[in-house]
Amino acid sequence: MSKIKIAGALLLSWVVALGAAVGPAHDLILCVTFRVPGGLTATALPLPLPPCGFHQRGADNRFTHFGPNYPRFNNLARDPRDPRVLYAASLNGVLCSTDGGESWRIGTSWDMTEPRDVCIDPHAPDHIYLALPDGIAVSNDRGLTWPRREIGLPRRGKYMQAVKVDRAQAGRVLAGCESGIYLTENGAQSWRRVFSTQATTTDLQQSPHDAQLWLATTQSDGALRSRDGGRTWEKIAGVPAAAALYNIAFDATNARRYAVASWTYGILTTEDGGETWSERNAGLPAPHRVFRLGIDPDNGRLYAGVYEAAVYESLDFGRTWRSAGFEHSVVYNFVFLPRFVNTPALAHLP
Amino acid sequence: MIARRLLIASFALGCALVSSAQPAFVGPAPARTILPTPELQRAAYLARIDEILAWRSSQAKPGELFPEMTMIATKLALHQDAELCSRSVIQLMKTPASGPFWMFPTVNVAFLGRDQLSLEARQAIRKAWSREMQMRGDTENHWAMYYTSLYLMAELYPNEPGSSWYSGKSSADNLAEAREYLIDWMNLATTVGQGEFNPTHYIGEYAIPMLYLATWAKDPAMRLRGKMTLDWIFADLAENTLNGVLHGANARTDDVSVIERGKALASFFSWVLFGNVPPIISYGGWGLYFATVAKNYELPEVIYRIAVDRPSDYVQRDFKRTRRRWRNSDVLMAPIYKTNYTRRDYAVGSYQGGLADPIQTHVWDVTWDVRDPRGVHNTMFSMHPVSSSYDLQTYFSELPDQMAKEVTKEGKASYDSPDKFLGGSRFEQVFQDLDTVIALYDIPVGTRFPHINGFFSKDLVQLTVDPSGWIFAQGGSCYLAYRPLAAYQLRPVALIKSSMTGERASLGDQQLFSPHLKNGTIVQAAAVSEFKDFAAFQAAIRALPLSFQLVTKPTVTFQTLRGKVVTCTFGAAPIVNGQPFDYTTWKLFEGPYLNAEKGSGRLTITHGALERILDFKTLSITDRVKP
Repeated sequence: MSKIKIAGALLLSWVVALGAAVGPAHDLILCVTFRVPGGLTATALPLPLPPCGFHQRGADNRFTHFGPNYPRFNNLARDPRDPRVLYAASLNGVLCSTDGGESWRIGTSWDMTEPRDVCIDPHAPDHIYLALPDGIAVSNDRGLTWPRREIGLPRRGKYMQAVKVDRAQAGRVLAGCESGIYLTENGAQSWRRVFSTQATTTDLQQSPHDAQLWLATTQSDGALRSRDGGRTWEKIAGVPAAAALYNIAFDATNARRYAVASWTYGILTTEDGGETWSERNAGLPAPHRVFRLGIDPDNGRLYAGVYEAAVYESLDFGRTWRSAGFEHSVVYNFVFLPRFVNTPALAHLP
Repeated sequence: MIARRLLIASFALGCALVSSAQPAFVGPAPARTILPTPELQRAAYLARIDEILAWRSSQAKPGELFPEMTMIATKLALHQDAELCSRSVIQLMKTPASGPFWMFPTVNVAFLGRDQLSLEARQAIRKAWSREMQMRGDTENHWAMYYTSLYLMAELYPNEPGSSWYSGKSSADNLAEAREYLIDWMNLATTVGQGEFNPTHYIGEYAIPMLYLATWAKDPAMRLRGKMTLDWIFADLAENTLNGVLHGANARTDDVSVIERGKALASFFSWVLFGNVPPIISYGGWGLYFATVAKNYELPEVIYRIAVDRPSDYVQRDFKRTRRRWRNSDVLMAPIYKTNYTRRDYAVGSYQGGLADPIQTHVWDVTWDVRDPRGVHNTMFSMHPVSSSYDLQTYFSELPDQMAKEVTKEGKASYDSPDKFLGGSRFEQVFQDLDTVIALYDIPVGTRFPHINGFFSKDLVQLTVDPSGWIFAQGGSCYLAYRPLAAYQLRPVALIKSSMTGERASLGDQQLFSPHLKNGTIVQAAAVSEFKDFAAFQAAIRALPLSFQLVTKPTVTFQTLRGKVVTCTFGAAPIVNGQPFDYTTWKLFEGPYLNAEKGSGRLTITHGALERILDFKTLSITDRVKP
């Protein structure tokens, strides 16, 4: 696709998003599973639990399930040109949909399993990156084929938990692996390590305010920050590093606010660009085992998925919390996608 | 890890079947008679299958729909109640489940019912395969079941578009993917080594799909591959059983069968194939899925003979591999060097230590023969109980903190228990020479559960704590000498009765608890018949030269009862009679019964003059009777 067409598509999505100014500019989709108290998933036994998989927030703030009743989705990516084109990182591999989630095709074959993350290059939306337990696969044909692109990754230590495309430059991608953070600037033709870790890098995020600013969480090295687009990284003082951190998020409504989720520490927030941090667990159920957090880019609302408890939301960035439902759930991701209006993607919503 | 939950649901279903009037389970232990001809062996095999089908069929409640798939499959196998089977299928297909444990029973019914089920029932099955996304799982046994099921269904419904399959792929694409996986897996297992080797209950997850493939694949080559893989699995079972009881080492077992060795699904397979041990309750549930198709399998006499007719003691050395390691390892799959020494009265089995599987590994034991294994805890071993997110993350693509919690709730109830007897450890190193085992432990400070557990069965007799430091005992016709290398306590332990629920029971067994990080165990076994009496055995053991130190790296030098001087140092190669022991020369199989070179894909199965060669490279089976 030509650059003009891509630019046009991006512009269209932006205009469409603006057109929805009366409502949220982003869709929120939860990747969630439900557990019977005692241990089994809702798909294992015919129990009166909601279906697992994708739950999408509607205009009335109610959530509706779509896609398969399936217990493990790690992320969902949507083609910025076409809201009907979806890619889901699932236990089976990558699931691809071209009809807004009504039907799916397992895009990968037997030799790829349990992808941890999936993302689309917004400047080259035919290019999709898939983080795998044993490396990375990259599709350059909208999910039809998934060749591995691992030159520069180590033979071992390339377990990949997170992959994120730099929105400022096509083909520039960061990957969070067992042995550190890796960077490609040529669409995964080659990689180089930009930061070493003792254990897995669990999340990578790019600031919505400053494309050069990136944050990462790790199991072993605390929280990390890069001010140069991911070329170099520094540890963020004030964030504990003795236990694993699970994910991190920017607040799109306030450039100085970030939040970290951790099984051990619960929710950690900063409101001064990372200079000082606070635990924000008052009001969360104990133990505050936060498996995933998300920050609504429309309003700064903070969501916390507390493991096998429920989803909680905070309107004051963690000072107080209230239940947002999803009892007995494990949330693997809070996915915020720019909203398209009046498209088939929303047809399944009430 | 998530797919494991599906196993639990299915396993629970199987175990929920009741044992009423199950003849072989409630009857006396089978006579140890070697049936002399293939015809008699076959007739006995068929009779056992008939027993299973008759038992399950008799449990149907008149006029009621069949509530689950084993009953439908049984009725179809017997060509009974087709109309009721159809209505039951239609009902069950209204709520299809997801995953390989739903897929293969459905394949069973779909194929058995091809000419019996109504069109509406067959369409209900087909529709379920169209709309319900099937989980592939995350384990080798999951994939064997998943891809065999997908392969067979894609053959059954060819030329259909992706829109008619849950996968979104056409029949041809599903078939190609499944075929490619199955061939790749068979190549891996027959050249590099089996992954989930000698499993006490996962054997069903391999044997059942391979039987289906051997029976129903349209492609003759795939049928043959299924048949050859089945022979391979059963030859391995035969060689690793002691009168039908599968002993250690096991890539995967469970809390119950690691102790009561006969209470394993493997015993069902020994019973149905060899007739030399009682089956477990309800034929293990899973056995029913095998039985409905089992008449299509012909057990080669050479495998039967290996299981039931052993003229002398033997050593078999095998090369296997671990589960895939996603992290924390220099290799994707680490080598396993497995030793099996089997005598008339006992067997000693081991591999070199470490984790073949993150949760259910069993590294070594001595298992003694009992005439009737039901209720008998006929084994002795020690182990380091591991509960470690590091180890779980090595094998699972998960975040660290929730895994131990999830594992304990999903059918591995003992995982985080300090007094468990299930599991391997990176901090255990084992060497076996014939019936001597030396296990050394070097556990880092700060490790959860910094102790080792030795298992002392309620069924041991003459248990004697000797001032020499040895503990002597007798199990069946086997004398046992157990030497803890560090201070310990022998204390009563309540064993886990169910891996699913974690329910425990005190039956009289004891735990040898030794809370020392640098530690070790020596076990020397011998036959009762070798000694005048128990005192003579003890005297012989006391006379064996032994030296050890645990201050730095645990080190032992021991002269075995069989006259070899063995030095083991944690982290170093064992030394036997002054020579470093070299594992690198090991073949895929080497012994009197099974032989294969690494990379060959060619297994020679031998018993006396009988020989069968399974050659996956030429895709051929060659039988001969040697002169």
